[in-house]
Amino acid sequence: MPTNSITVEQLSKTYQVPEREAGFNAAVRSFFKRKYKDVKAVQEVNFNIAQGEIVGFLGPNGAGKTTTLKMLSGLLHPSSGKASVLGFTPWELKPEYLRSMTLVMGQRNRLSWDIPAADSFLLNQAIYRIPDDEYKQTYKELDELLELDPLMKKPVRNLSLGERMKCEIAAGLLHRPKVLFLDEPTIGLDITGQVRIREFLREYNKRTGATILLTSHYMADVTALCERIIIIHQGQLKYDGGITDLSHKIAPFKLIGVMLADADSHDLSGYGTQVQNEEDADKRYIQVKAEDVTRITSKLLADLPVHDITITDPPIEDVIEQAFNQ
Amino acid sequence: MFLIIKRLWQVNWAEQWQYRANLLMYLMYWLVSPIIYLAVWTSIANAKGSVNGFTANDFVTYYMVLLICDQVTSNIVIHTFGYKIQDGSLSGELIRPIHPMLTNGLVNNIAFKALTIMGLTPIWIILYFLFKPDFSSVSMTGILLAIPAMIMAFFIGYLLSASITALAFWTTRIYSVHEFYFALILLFSGQFVPLTLMPPVIQNIAQYLPFQLLIYYPIQLILGRLSTEQIIQGYVMSFIWLGVASLLFNWVWRNGVKRYSAVGA
Repeated sequence: MPTNSITVEQLSKTYQVPEREAGFNAAVRSFFKRKYKDVKAVQEVNFNIAQGEIVGFLGPNGAGKTTTLKMLSGLLHPSSGKASVLGFTPWELKPEYLRSMTLVMGQRNRLSWDIPAADSFLLNQAIYRIPDDEYKQTYKELDELLELDPLMKKPVRNLSLGERMKCEIAAGLLHRPKVLFLDEPTIGLDITGQVRIREFLREYNKRTGATILLTSHYMADVTALCERIIIIHQGQLKYDGGITDLSHKIAPFKLIGVMLADADSHDLSGYGTQVQNEEDADKRYIQVKAEDVTRITSKLLADLPVHDITITDPPIEDVIEQAFNQ
Repeated sequence: MFLIIKRLWQVNWAEQWQYRANLLMYLMYWLVSPIIYLAVWTSIANAKGSVNGFTANDFVTYYMVLLICDQVTSNIVIHTFGYKIQDGSLSGELIRPIHPMLTNGLVNNIAFKALTIMGLTPIWIILYFLFKPDFSSVSMTGILLAIPAMIMAFFIGYLLSASITALAFWTTRIYSVHEFYFALILLFSGQFVPLTLMPPVIQNIAQYLPFQLLIYYPIQLILGRLSTEQIIQGYVMSFIWLGVASLLFNWVWRNGVKRYSAVGA
């Protein structure tokens, strides 16, 4: 029976943002009496994540994903609510807690810009009390996957975006954390780099049983790694469940793509809603309800000169987009 | 812990070397005012014979020792840390299992100090040959008494500056507060003028404030100008202020971190 490594109860964060109107008079007024606006970044969010799970945390910009990750890693104090990660309350910032988790976020976190990454790595070794042999072993594994060696001796500021991201991720994993909070871990990486990071994370999860909560704008990261996703929108939890269930629940549709002998001369509007698909311009696509797929497919094959036919799920991006709008 | 300090030292030392030119400018800035005071007061004392009993040599020795004490006891934590709280770059350090300001910040300041003291040495020697001061009142006992006093003074100053720096959790404009703090140092530490030449009111206030412990007290210890009673009083004040500064910093930090908004990255 897997135990929960993350529990979140009614977690909320409200930022107070000073606001004033433009103009000189408003500036003077706000000097004496400042007005604040409450921005509810996260509102009463609840979820549990079992040990060893990889969960995708999705939502549009400003949905509250990063704020939630910051609270779970201990950077932010919540306005209300509770959270427990590995039995610790994150924002108490207990050293035992900080040694067992990692937060990979943005480009400049663990590495000092002015010196080569190798020096920052050695510093992290000391800070996280990593024994020499374990450090060498972990470094070797990270180097195999991320090809770190050629990057280690250059000052970090001279590395490219992608190179820096690789070093950031590696620096965040040297101490073999049990819980990983990853905010856009593949941002700035080329396709090969993205695939490598994904493979690495999957392998790491399998080997160590670590729990991973990640956000990403690349849906491929999510579909490749996560069986479960949590969707948050305007600070509120919208969906928590399997990634395959999502399309059933939110968008119980299928896409039928047909390649026709004389493509444009047939009217498909009687079969379902026509949709555009730029990736495959040769085919024409219609969206139909899942339960109607068999019936409409047979009808298409009977009525029209079909050269080729495909039945697919709608792209996950579209499904999630629909989930946001509900 | 020793290994952490050692590695922090390596990183900070390397970083400081990256900014040699910047460091040199800092040092120049630091040296300008004491050297001006030294020149002005010495020429006044030379013209008048003495100022309230202070001879030209008294001024030269005072300011030359001041150059050393100021380097040892001062800190630049507001410049190296304030912006991290304001722009969110503290995040990376905050979630490391070591205290950002009591480990990295501290080591960073000491690395900075080590370099500026290296830079100060040749300048000090030049001044020595220029003014040929009479250091006969300096004794080994004085120096030995001054070393722990200066170390405590450094920590007092660091914790007070760190507390002001941590105010950045509340307000993003801490530099004005720090300017005010610097003005207090200038007035009550003996940096502007030896405290004995200040009006009695200022002298009375100064002996209860921490600022004279940073500069005036160690200078007087080195120059052997204090009675046993004054030496003991200085040490007692150092212990008291070290306690007060620790409590203050602890409180400001603990409450400040709760307000941290981790903006940006």
